[in-house]
Amino acid sequence: MSITNLLENWSDFRHQHPSEDRPHLEYKWAMSIDLDSCTGCNACSVACYAENNLPVVGKEKFAHGHSHHWMRIERYWDNDGREFADQGAQFLPMLCQHCESAPCETVCPVGATNHTADGLNSQVYNRCVGSRYCNANCPYKVRYFNWYDYPTTDNVWPAPMEQQLNPDVTVRGKGVMEKCTFCVQRLTVAKSDARTEGRLVLDGEVQTACQQVCPTGAITFGNLVDPLAKVGKQWMQQQVDLNKDKQAKDAAEDAVKLRGYRILEELRTYPSVMYLEQLRESAI
Amino acid sequence: MEKDIREDIAWAQINKDVLKSLESPRRIYWVILLIAIAMVGVAVGCEIYQYQTGMGVANKNNSHVWSLYIATFIFWIGMSHSGTLLSAILHLMHADWRKPIYRFAEAMTTFSLMTAGLFVMVHLGRLWQVYYVMPYPNERWAWPNFQSPLVWDMFAIATYLSSSVLFLYVGMIPDLAICRDNIHAGWRKKLYTIMSLGWEGTDRQWRNFRMTYLTIACFLIPLAVSVHSIVASDFAMSNMPGWHVTSFPPYFVAGALYSGCAAIITLFIILRYVFRFEEYMTLPIMRKLVRLTFAIAMVWTYLNLIEFASVWYGHDQTAKDQLIFKATGPYAPYFWAMIFFGSILPLMLAFKRFQTHLPILFVVSILLNVGMWLERWMIISPSFAHGHYPWAWDHDQWPSLIQWGMVFGSFGWFTLLFMVFCKVFPSVSMYEVKEMVYHRSLAQKHKPAVKGDY
Amino acid sequence: MSTRHLLALFNDFDEAVAAIADLRAANIKGFHIDDLILKSPIEHPEVEQVLGDKPVNVQWFTLVGATMGGLLAFILVSAAQGNFFAQLKGGKPIIPLPPNFILTYEMFILGGVFITILGFLICAGLPAKRSPLYSAKVSEDQIGILVQGDESAVAAFKAIFTKHKALEIQEEAAK
Repeated sequence: MSITNLLENWSDFRHQHPSEDRPHLEYKWAMSIDLDSCTGCNACSVACYAENNLPVVGKEKFAHGHSHHWMRIERYWDNDGREFADQGAQFLPMLCQHCESAPCETVCPVGATNHTADGLNSQVYNRCVGSRYCNANCPYKVRYFNWYDYPTTDNVWPAPMEQQLNPDVTVRGKGVMEKCTFCVQRLTVAKSDARTEGRLVLDGEVQTACQQVCPTGAITFGNLVDPLAKVGKQWMQQQVDLNKDKQAKDAAEDAVKLRGYRILEELRTYPSVMYLEQLRESAI
Repeated sequence: MEKDIREDIAWAQINKDVLKSLESPRRIYWVILLIAIAMVGVAVGCEIYQYQTGMGVANKNNSHVWSLYIATFIFWIGMSHSGTLLSAILHLMHADWRKPIYRFAEAMTTFSLMTAGLFVMVHLGRLWQVYYVMPYPNERWAWPNFQSPLVWDMFAIATYLSSSVLFLYVGMIPDLAICRDNIHAGWRKKLYTIMSLGWEGTDRQWRNFRMTYLTIACFLIPLAVSVHSIVASDFAMSNMPGWHVTSFPPYFVAGALYSGCAAIITLFIILRYVFRFEEYMTLPIMRKLVRLTFAIAMVWTYLNLIEFASVWYGHDQTAKDQLIFKATGPYAPYFWAMIFFGSILPLMLAFKRFQTHLPILFVVSILLNVGMWLERWMIISPSFAHGHYPWAWDHDQWPSLIQWGMVFGSFGWFTLLFMVFCKVFPSVSMYEVKEMVYHRSLAQKHKPAVKGDY
Repeated sequence: MSTRHLLALFNDFDEAVAAIADLRAANIKGFHIDDLILKSPIEHPEVEQVLGDKPVNVQWFTLVGATMGGLLAFILVSAAQGNFFAQLKGGKPIIPLPPNFILTYEMFILGGVFITILGFLICAGLPAKRSPLYSAKVSEDQIGILVQGDESAVAAFKAIFTKHKALEIQEEAAK
């Protein structure tokens, strides 16, 4: 039975992902973040804490590096020899890049993190044994480990804060790895709603929590397969191709300077998040 | 040239001397045993606390997700390799000086593998679900991820542990028969009777025994190499700067043999004293062992330089930064200590006067292993402190006492298992020492022994 | 006529070999040279010069074990991956060959070792009860020759053993 299965579907089993010949069929969730619009206000991070039941670990554990910000705002200072940077810090919202070829997936010993059909990098909490190999192999370090049992720890969700926990999302116990899911609970609802009505999810129908709260609208999220989706148009405009580890536009010397780039693309992770470079006055 | 062993030693005397080790060691044996148990107690306490509270108490964090546990895991896996070197490779090469010392080296293989296995477990965030890593049939058709080097580890270590236990056991059957014939009462009598499987030393048994032993030796050599290559793959297969190095597998294997040989020297000296094995674990054998260690130390040094050179002349700027960070950053003292203990100190072993000086060798062999432990730590932690992503750099992390306690306790655990083994089972192979004496006395009589055997 | 067993102990391997050669040459009625068992504290491969070549079959077990181990591992691992395609890994096919070859290699060795041990136990006839004629001296430093023959042959056996300075001759009627 199994051998028949192997022989019949061998070419399917040997098919590699990502590739041009078999693109995503219905959905490929992707994001773009405009760093020019980002003000570093941390609203996205707060929204993520609220939406995804992230434990608030407190000052001391945060200082030990035990924090759980799936969406984090990184600050970079380009002082250029001066005491303070002229235009303040540069901000970079960092979240799981949902790589098409994720380094974390192949190394998980129990298969707790996988690539889903709609292009997410999923994390199965129940399956995770906490070997932390995924974090070790993640170049972006966007995976967060439950170093303690936060649901039973005092002051993580002091009363009545536990009332605001999102019922659609599990609360993770100690010893499992977690990370940004692109608000998979919202995606699932949107997809099943659409399926009930016999259509695909429309652009703008579903938003991630961080996108929803961003006051400057820096975050765009949507289905890359959908030709009408804004995110796809942005990727197209910036000539960033999901399935390339080197973009053609970077090779051309006299090309128009486009702002779109993906972080650590050269590691062949094929991230699903595109950033739009910040334009600083000094750079113009 | 001094002799590896006296030819005129009576066979009955060999039995007597070795069997005595099962009965009356020096008093220091019990002291060592007590210390070992106390050390295990420390580790058990740490593990209970960590299990109850969470991995956070080890003071790892989201930048440093791996730390001393994995470093010490590699250390113990590595140490196990020299038992195979002595028992299998030297067996195929007909180096008969291995005969008096290979038994305890093989026991060292087994017990250091067992110690290493524990580190995988204490490292896991959810120890209670460790069985998820094993491919067991279940109705949900959920399998481990066979692509993960950790699953390869699981396969490789399970294979290595069970094969080396079997190898140790099969090689011990004739000796267990000797024990059975000479011990006449108590639980030991029962144990040896059952374990010796009714061995009588008939020609049929010996014939099949020889072929079996040879076959397993042939299997164990590639197995040992593959085990540490796979452990190296845990790192070489990842994309972290400082880990993603093609030469890691041979480098790891060399390091493994190195630390194992150093450990054999340490245990050689301890057993020689504790069980009064001066007649068997002789100084000429020690000299050969020390020379072997020296050669492997130089191989390790060479591969270390190769690794640095290939990073230095490569185009991967991150890896190069990582190397510079290792040599100049907060880990610099440990890095240079590793170079000193691993590459400079063994140069001493090249001098004849040190090759049989037991007190010096005892200290040096321990220091060599300190160097090799540092090597493993220097592979793990600097890569986490200074990886691809600048925001996640964390140069200040320091392992908590829980981690150090567990590392400390593991040495007690190993010593405990090893010392109990040496008291219950003959730690010198009696029948092979007899073979050695027999062939040497034949050679002395200028009579050709077995063809090709001498 | 009942079968008798005799065990003679020798101090020296050469004497034992000479005794065996004599037994072979003497052509004693009711005794066959294949019924002779040599017991020794160490291995004496050279004894085959007088006992005749005897086959060793352990290596066939090894061959079967290693082959089966490797094949089974590859098929089981690939089948498991094929049936668990929810476990798709980005950048890799569902059945990636390099990792599967590694596991195949490990199980090749595991199968080889386990079945070799099994083969050893079968070929060497272990575990077994010790034969009634056994001397602890054999595990120390003496060579034993265990012969089996008709009652009529006992006298001839004893003569040859004594001629070659046997230290001790044990005798027992077999069932």
